[in-house]
Amino acid sequence: MTSQTPIYEARNISKSYGSVDALVGVNLKIHAGEVVGLVGDNGAGKSTLVKCLSGAHQPTSGQMLLDGKEVEWKTPHEAIEAGIETLYQESGLAPDLSVSSNVFLGREELVKGPLGRLGFLAQKSMDKKAHEDLERVGIAVPASNRAVSQLSGGQRQAVAIGRAVSWASKIIILDEPTNHLGARQAGEVLNIIERVKSEGFGVIFISHTLPHVLQVTDRVAVLRLGRLVADKPTSEFNSETLLGTITGLIGE
Amino acid sequence: MDKAKFNAKGLLRNQQVILLVVLFAMAAFFTSQNSIFLTNAVFGNIISDWVPLVLIAIGETFVIISGGIDLSVGSAVGLSGIIAAFSMRYFTAHNMTDNLSLTLGLLISIGIGAVVGLVNGFLITKANMVPFVSTLVTLGAARGLCIVLTAGGPIADGPSNAIDLSVPKVGPFSYPGVAVLGLVIILGLFMHKARFGRYTFAIGSNAFAARSAGINVNRHLVKIYALSGALAGIAGMYFYLRLGVGSPTSGQSGELNAIAAVVIGGASLSGGVGKLLGTALGSLILVTVTSGLIIIGVAANWNQVVVAILIAAAVFSQGIRTLGKKNK
Repeated sequence: MTSQTPIYEARNISKSYGSVDALVGVNLKIHAGEVVGLVGDNGAGKSTLVKCLSGAHQPTSGQMLLDGKEVEWKTPHEAIEAGIETLYQESGLAPDLSVSSNVFLGREELVKGPLGRLGFLAQKSMDKKAHEDLERVGIAVPASNRAVSQLSGGQRQAVAIGRAVSWASKIIILDEPTNHLGARQAGEVLNIIERVKSEGFGVIFISHTLPHVLQVTDRVAVLRLGRLVADKPTSEFNSETLLGTITGLIGE
Repeated sequence: MDKAKFNAKGLLRNQQVILLVVLFAMAAFFTSQNSIFLTNAVFGNIISDWVPLVLIAIGETFVIISGGIDLSVGSAVGLSGIIAAFSMRYFTAHNMTDNLSLTLGLLISIGIGAVVGLVNGFLITKANMVPFVSTLVTLGAARGLCIVLTAGGPIADGPSNAIDLSVPKVGPFSYPGVAVLGLVIILGLFMHKARFGRYTFAIGSNAFAARSAGINVNRHLVKIYALSGALAGIAGMYFYLRLGVGSPTSGQSGELNAIAAVVIGGASLSGGVGKLLGTALGSLILVTVTSGLIIIGVAANWNQVVVAILIAAAVFSQGIRTLGKKNK
């Protein structure tokens, strides 16, 4: 797997806000069908790196390559168009809308003909496709025309991931997807991530919950004070060495 | 859709059904007090009151569902009506035919209303002012302009056939009334079946989600406020037809009636929830109360008290129903 061209690669990325160096020369590779864990203490630069990768911010220097070709995002929308979906910590769902309306939000299917040109929606088709897309990654949602506000926290997170999966073509970035979830619901989300991985996506998994990281990732990249301090297969870590690397007790 | 919903309990959970029941109960009560209520003349009057109210209430519904508020609609009605009146007076003085003059008057009225809406949209999205303040500014400015431009008096000498158009011709509806009814239905479809409405609900429900889904939230908000203003413009023209002159006080406190109609109709002021049918029925209830109370001889000022009770009852019953849903 590692011999292939990475599906997404960050080379020597630095980002400064004024005189503060949030990221210094970070390298990261994500392959198709691989889950890469991104961990680090608060202020280590995880969010900044995610924002660069998702197009929300532009790095001060460094390169990003998608399928081996250099890319530059001016807006998050450009990254989305290129096949990179990001699930932010802040909820990306509209609770008053139905499951399928959320899955298709911003990319609604329109009916054919002149009514479609006026913006009329092909709701039935979207309901059906949303249901199929969610099932594909093992998400069982009672009815795709149900309002998201009537779902449990775990179901909502599942829909959010399902939404990302149904639109991403290459990379899915998940920022703390198991936060605020109970053990069983978090387990369901981790199962979905396994399924997403087996569909051939590259997944970046950001989390503070180290057991989840050890369970679901293939490789872990550790950031500390804006620098990449470790990037190794998950099998080479256990919870103690991973925590030690994050806090800096190991590896200086 | 859930088929099991069509039972008695389910029906009572449906705001529109409750509103219809309230409406029929009112009509029955007013008729029992004074049988003149059940005549075409009274209904014609009710519908004539309803048309301008439902226009601004629909604009207000889009705005409220998007999570905002538009306090300027009443003033936009006034300003668009008198600018149209000035224009039509000029056209008539220059021997333009009545029909052409009225058509241009309508377009000008819509245009002026839309400009008020665009100013709101600009203040909200570019100047980052909250909708309440932005539209409070335009409320004052537009109403002030009405008085300044007219010196407080009516603007007459327009097309002579204007007032004929406001006479009921199709049952209780005048021809413009029929056109507005058609517009209400079309706007209902745009709200509930088309992308325009979907984005409106999404923004009111979670603006962050809408933005990260690639929706241009600011552009959509500008469109919503422009639509609200344009509908106020149509209402301004309608008042002109009804009075036969442009009046600087047309639409005064219309924004409060519009908000009342939206709230009675079941929309949530926190955004993301609402139905256009609810607003249409809510505004019909408001104008029915007003006419009904006059007909049964209750002092006019009681109207406000009854409307206040209706608003409280509507919001209270919504609270109960939402609670029921959560406990299920």
